[in-house]
Amino acid sequence: MKAMEENYELAKWLAGEMTEAELITFQNTPEYATYAKIAEYSSELKAPDFDHDLLYQNTITRKKPVQKVIPLYQSKWMKIAAVFVLFLALGLYFKTTVTSTEIAENGKKINFSLPDNSQIVLNSGSEIQYKKWNWANNRKLDLNGEAYFRVAHGKKFEVNTKLGTVTVLGTQFNVKARENRFDVTCYEGRVKIVHNNHEVIITKGTSVTFDADSFEKQSIQNDKPEWTVNQIVFKKEKLQHILDEIQRQYDCEIILNSKENLQLFTGTLPSDNIKTALDIVSATYHLKISKFENKKIILEDF
Amino acid sequence: MDQKDSNSICEELIFSGFFKANVKALRNYLYFKFGNEEKANDITQESFIKLWENCKNVPIEKAKSYIYTIANNASLNEIAHQKVVLRYAQNNTHNDRTNQNPEFLIEEEQFRQKLEKAISKLTEAQRTAFLLHRIEGKKYHEIAIMLDISVKAVEKRIHGALITLRTEIEQFK
Repeated sequence: MKAMEENYELAKWLAGEMTEAELITFQNTPEYATYAKIAEYSSELKAPDFDHDLLYQNTITRKKPVQKVIPLYQSKWMKIAAVFVLFLALGLYFKTTVTSTEIAENGKKINFSLPDNSQIVLNSGSEIQYKKWNWANNRKLDLNGEAYFRVAHGKKFEVNTKLGTVTVLGTQFNVKARENRFDVTCYEGRVKIVHNNHEVIITKGTSVTFDADSFEKQSIQNDKPEWTVNQIVFKKEKLQHILDEIQRQYDCEIILNSKENLQLFTGTLPSDNIKTALDIVSATYHLKISKFENKKIILEDF
Repeated sequence: MDQKDSNSICEELIFSGFFKANVKALRNYLYFKFGNEEKANDITQESFIKLWENCKNVPIEKAKSYIYTIANNASLNEIAHQKVVLRYAQNNTHNDRTNQNPEFLIEEEQFRQKLEKAISKLTEAQRTAFLLHRIEGKKYHEIAIMLDISVKAVEKRIHGALITLRTEIEQFK
């Protein structure tokens, strides 16, 4: 018991709870001087100051103590998420803005489907551009050359060319826009054509031709364009345009060394036999094939 | 019930009075414990926020032990303790020492440094109890409530602290 009492006597002294007798005894010990100094100097110590008012304001407004903030950009997962979002955004951007292009080079024809299953046959030396994104609600495409369309039923289908615009619902039609000549033939349904502010609606079995200054409407018998079955049909066509078409179909080069011949040609040429095609043209225009090699043809007056 | 409510810690005036009376002791207690001002301030604020949020459930006479319980619980997660840095009060002009000779002033400064070093040698329990008594002027029974220990245990810590301090200081001589 006595040992226990002794153990805490320093605490008693520090709290001023020693009796007179105890204090005198303690003051006579050699350690007392140091203890007295410790007591004196330790009461002069101070903890660092702090802002009571700020703490109070933060408390009363229930602001939680400031957490250690890890900036978003330093978090690994945020980095991964950011890259992911970036790719997603880029993907969406390209999907909405980038156009799909189908090209049929000279000597080739291609057949392809649009997202709504509309069928397109693209004639040689032609090009179509369209946007796959949201196609069903925005059926618009740009045509350069000639193409045959079998349009699936749906919203307005629009073919834009340099020469004019063709608008349809569900139908089959052919559009040919070459040089200054714009031919549209309707095989099924109704087609609306706008050319130089001139609006025409044609129905099944009708063909219209807009030239630089003329407009002509004809009836047709076929149920699809001849070129899709390897025939090239010309109606009142100029020689130069016929040769252009042959060059596209056979992917060759034709040089015409002849006087100007304004005779117009109406007839059919094969698109799978160049010799026959050239023979027919030569016979009609009194020309001869002076050279025929390696996709290079020279035609001269007979 | 109504009477009790108007006297409750939820009244901002009462809360504010309680805050002023206790914030320094709590914050310095936490500082003596951790030696980190930021941590001490954060936990102090957290404790008072919890009291303010739960004021309806805490009777005013329990408020003090409530904030210390919150603070002690929050402290359980704090492991890394730093050295406690203390300053001496600037205006410690004891009348009997103002005209002391330079030699004495040097000795005095040396003792202060020794005391600071010795304090850093105390255990966390001893240091907290000792500094609460010396700096905050808390009575042993008040310290006992803060630390949630008995008065005897506080006395034991103070006693042990004094012995350690004296031995350390005399070693430096």
